[in-house]
Amino acid sequence: MTQQMDRPKHIGARIQRFEDTRLLAGTARYIDDIRLPNMLHLRFVRAQMAHAKVLEIDTEALEDIGFPTQVFTGADIGDLSIKAHQDYPEMQYSEQPLLARERVRFVGEAVAAVLADDAYQAEDAAEMVFVDYEPLQVVTTMDQARDPEVPGLFDGWRTNIFVERQMKGGDIAQAKAEAAHVIKRTYTTQRQAGVPMEGRGVAAEYDPASRMLTVWSSTQIPHLVRTYIAEELGLPESRLRVVAPDVGGGFGVKGQVFPEEVLVPWLAMKTGRPVKWVEDRREHLTSSIHARDHSHTLEAYVSEDGRLLGLKADISVDVGAYSTFPFTAAGDPGMAAKVMPGPYDFQHYEATFRALATNKCPIGTYRGVGRPSAVFAQERLMDDIANELGLDPIEFRLKNVVRDFPYTNALGFTYDPGSYAETLEKMRDLLAEDRAAAEASSNDPDKRIGVGLACFVEQTAHGTPDFTRRRVPIETGYIAARVEMTPDGQALVDIGLQNHGQGHETVMAQVAADALGIDPKDVHVRHGDTLTTPYSVGTWGSRGGALGGGAVHVAAGRIADKLKAIAGHLLQSDPQKIVLQNGIAHPEGQPDRHVAVAKLARTALRNVDQLPAGMEPGLEAQYSLDGPNDGTYSNAVHAAVVEIDTKTGKMQLKRFVVVEDCGTILNPLIVDGQVRGGVVQGIGSAMLEHFIYDEDGQPLTVTFADYLMPLATEIPEIELHHIETPTPLTPLGAKGLGEGGAIGPAAAIANAVADALGIEVTKTPLNANALWHLARQAEKNRAE
Amino acid sequence: MRPSEFEYHKADSLEQALALLQEFGDEGRPIAGGQSLVPMMNLRLARPAHLVDINGLGLDTIEKKDGVIRIGALVRHERYLAEPLIIDNFPAFIDGVRAIGHPTIRRNGTIGGSLAHADPTAELPLLCMLHDGEIIAASAGGERRLPATRFFEGAYMTVLEAGEMIVAVELPVPPASSSGAFVEMAERRGDFAIAACGVTLEHARGRVTRAAVACSGAGQTAMRAPQLEEALEGLELAHPDAAAAIAAFTETLNPPDDHSASADYRRALVGQLTEQALATACSRAMEAS
Amino acid sequence: MIEITLEVNGETRRLSVESRRLLADVLRQEFNLSGVHIGCAHGACGCCTVHLDGKPRLSCLTFAAQCDGKSVRTVESVGGVGADHPLQKAFRSEHGLQCGYCTPGFIMTLIPFVEEMTAERRMPDEEEIREAMSGNICRCTGYQGIVEAVRKVIGENLEEGAQA
Repeated sequence: MTQQMDRPKHIGARIQRFEDTRLLAGTARYIDDIRLPNMLHLRFVRAQMAHAKVLEIDTEALEDIGFPTQVFTGADIGDLSIKAHQDYPEMQYSEQPLLARERVRFVGEAVAAVLADDAYQAEDAAEMVFVDYEPLQVVTTMDQARDPEVPGLFDGWRTNIFVERQMKGGDIAQAKAEAAHVIKRTYTTQRQAGVPMEGRGVAAEYDPASRMLTVWSSTQIPHLVRTYIAEELGLPESRLRVVAPDVGGGFGVKGQVFPEEVLVPWLAMKTGRPVKWVEDRREHLTSSIHARDHSHTLEAYVSEDGRLLGLKADISVDVGAYSTFPFTAAGDPGMAAKVMPGPYDFQHYEATFRALATNKCPIGTYRGVGRPSAVFAQERLMDDIANELGLDPIEFRLKNVVRDFPYTNALGFTYDPGSYAETLEKMRDLLAEDRAAAEASSNDPDKRIGVGLACFVEQTAHGTPDFTRRRVPIETGYIAARVEMTPDGQALVDIGLQNHGQGHETVMAQVAADALGIDPKDVHVRHGDTLTTPYSVGTWGSRGGALGGGAVHVAAGRIADKLKAIAGHLLQSDPQKIVLQNGIAHPEGQPDRHVAVAKLARTALRNVDQLPAGMEPGLEAQYSLDGPNDGTYSNAVHAAVVEIDTKTGKMQLKRFVVVEDCGTILNPLIVDGQVRGGVVQGIGSAMLEHFIYDEDGQPLTVTFADYLMPLATEIPEIELHHIETPTPLTPLGAKGLGEGGAIGPAAAIANAVADALGIEVTKTPLNANALWHLARQAEKNRAE
Repeated sequence: MRPSEFEYHKADSLEQALALLQEFGDEGRPIAGGQSLVPMMNLRLARPAHLVDINGLGLDTIEKKDGVIRIGALVRHERYLAEPLIIDNFPAFIDGVRAIGHPTIRRNGTIGGSLAHADPTAELPLLCMLHDGEIIAASAGGERRLPATRFFEGAYMTVLEAGEMIVAVELPVPPASSSGAFVEMAERRGDFAIAACGVTLEHARGRVTRAAVACSGAGQTAMRAPQLEEALEGLELAHPDAAAAIAAFTETLNPPDDHSASADYRRALVGQLTEQALATACSRAMEAS
Repeated sequence: MIEITLEVNGETRRLSVESRRLLADVLRQEFNLSGVHIGCAHGACGCCTVHLDGKPRLSCLTFAAQCDGKSVRTVESVGGVGADHPLQKAFRSEHGLQCGYCTPGFIMTLIPFVEEMTAERRMPDEEEIREAMSGNICRCTGYQGIVEAVRKVIGENLEEGAQA
């Protein structure tokens, strides 16, 4: 697989991003900037009850409203829905109708679609639609969902469990029998929301003349949206175009196909007018997707000398009311079960995982998907074991981390080379002073310092077999790139990723430029439009750099081979010895004997009479790169130093340090930005962000006054250190890195709190209220 | 999230504003900075049929007269931080203003707006109570002077009547030998507080002669702590240990218990913040004398 | 409907607006200034920050009707289509943006802060810089690149001033 690059010049360079200019100038085009003549604005009437029968939808008041409106309800849309099934026999079948039919299952579910000529008027009109409900028994807790006496959320359901399955490897009974210590704990991570600063939005226009349906959506996965719409609406996919314009953040939230993305085009076709829906912030918080909400009970089997022998896990996730497409209700619990063995060397593992249905917003993918919760549990457990055995937490980890690669874990997943021990050792050095300060503060009644770390691996850029095993509708994970050279010697890269902050327009240009010997600024990268880009799964699962970059490298390499053949012909030299760099082609060691790349391009595309005999005109290549079977494993250690005021519960994050390894670094500016951004989201998970429902299923955190995300004032400088262990599994040696930053902070911060207060921490968020209660408990424990 | 329909009226004079507010009654609301009202309107939690824009009325002076400092209803929060009359007389007030929101909010929000909005843990309601402030409300029928301690009826509820608007707040100038401090605990800097406490002291010969304590987070409005204030009289500035008195005060509290904070946490926090504010006020008093 | 006169980025126009139209919407729709982004519409994220008579203001908490006779500046006026303002350049070099949605709000919030520090001839400390942007939420960058951009541009301004 590995193709070594000649002389990388731009790859690895700290190049400023090309996309920044339009984003800074205010000339970028986001979904709400799509304006079409004669466009209708859509506003939803959304469920105000968590679980109820819809008795009547009364639209009579709209007759006197004074402006034209149209209303559509579940009765109008037939059985159109989001179907997201895992092909497992025990999976219970559910569908999310585009508009509720007969029954609503969470507050915020769309009940009716109201169209008007103006967005303000659409909102006025939606308020005038009266929905009569008959309340049904509400399911809001995991215990209720597991109670066989509680009626199912869907007709014909036996229990409110979407799916419960097992994963295992080795012999867990043997590990238990051999163990000198058995340590069992339960850890929970709260429900959250991903909250990109731009919410969702969809616009659609149908042109009857060309029978072409164009859909604009603020999505990370335009091709998957296209396929879903085509299949659900029975349209030819060749006449369907999905455009993701500039997208104001995604973080996985925009990596699902949503009911609105199918409904808006349906409405455009039905009404014969363009339709646009732009989500408001309250809708985003209640009705897009949520994340996390895990409870893990772990039982570790440890030898006398502190070696992990085996691990048993019981994983429940409250996934809300519906299964989401394409990763399904089992996505989060399955991911947690799969990654729980982490960076540690043990061969006996057994996990039971289940997805529980409740009357809440569905859970979908959010940066890390299952891993932040799994790492929280795993790394809290490592500290709790170390504490129980009287071992130093870093030395205990060093004793147990995988050191010989490739390594096949208990579940049969093979880890490519990483730097697990090295990152830990580096972190040990970096933390020495803080650990001493923490030790010194342990008897201070008011101010306690604590140091905690999280060590983890992240399976990234996984290939098709991983999805086949999971039998999820995503089905595959490849990224395609098409590279074309224009007669002026510049290049066009059309890539199946969608860039919503990751810097693809720059990184892909760096990769293509190195292959073609031209300047990155002469590479135009296009993405996010199914009309111009080759079919791909889009941007998610930390695959942009590793797979997208790899695909560009291979495709551009094929064009480079052709340029070299032409240059060899023109220069009367061996094409194998031609070097492409700085915009010229020359025989190795003879830069004076050169021909411009632009001249070669013009020859291939225009002056084709000068091509070598029999050579096909043109300069275009496409390559689809699937991920490695088991993915490529990035690894990192995160550490937090906290100071807690035990009297007020105020916690100050004094230091946050990351030592990470994502293989080859393609652009350090962007890598650092991705890691830091992820870390700050992880800090939000650890300390602030909590989406709360009351016992009736009413959401309590529906504005930014209640759903609290990190502000600049809460965040210290995030200190980064890199170790580069290139993977042999991707063309450039790059591993995925987009999600890793968000995976470690909850565990690292919780471990720091545990260290500071001398108490076991079992759940997040660690907000002021939680910390004060922990400090009281610790005080009580000490007194006893 | 856009407001429902209303009619906009720009008032050119106070008389005109009050006449319009009288005309519209319950259907009318004055708008100044809009930092509290407009979010409520965008969420359609407030839907006045008429908005009377009072930004053009002046009402934005801070003046000292007859032993009181009069703050116009349209004074924006950031003004205090550069205003000697406030800086010199009300250290607790300055502490509190620094904790309000963020720069853009402090630049645009007004004292009248904050008091009328009556968020239970907003800083300015607490500070006005602490400093024995009087709120001057005007209507077409005349003016009412309302002690801040009797102005707030509950969360987002005040004694203001339809047709009435705040025109000024008056704070009595404290004697020269006085001090104060304000401390709050919020989840993030700039958020409405979980709890807050302000303390002012008058002192002589190293002892407290009169104290005022106001706190929020313990109920639906900020409140004064008269028994505690009395107990603090005679406290030595150099040894501001009032733990017992503060504990006696917090035991009487019955704070809300909800998803963001438990009642016992709030109670303990009020006590802790009171201790901190008191300690700071005492040490400031020592520094000054 | 209300007749108002707005001076926006140097262009003065008289227009008729409904009382309830937010300044943000009027700038976006009537003036085609799509750099004004609405992130929350309840004054809690700073995305929609513009300058009203020279000072930062949340355009989602402002009715266009209130702005009669006033002057508005949006991000489009700051450094042109090339985004050439020194603060914009520093955002680029320090990676102070990723998805770009919150970026115009940060730029409009921070330009007066940078000018104020430059006028006072002092480099603010980290806490002050973070406080200056505490009304703006960025979900992508973790803020560090933005802090560094502010520090860089103030540093450049102070150096320039020192040479002059």
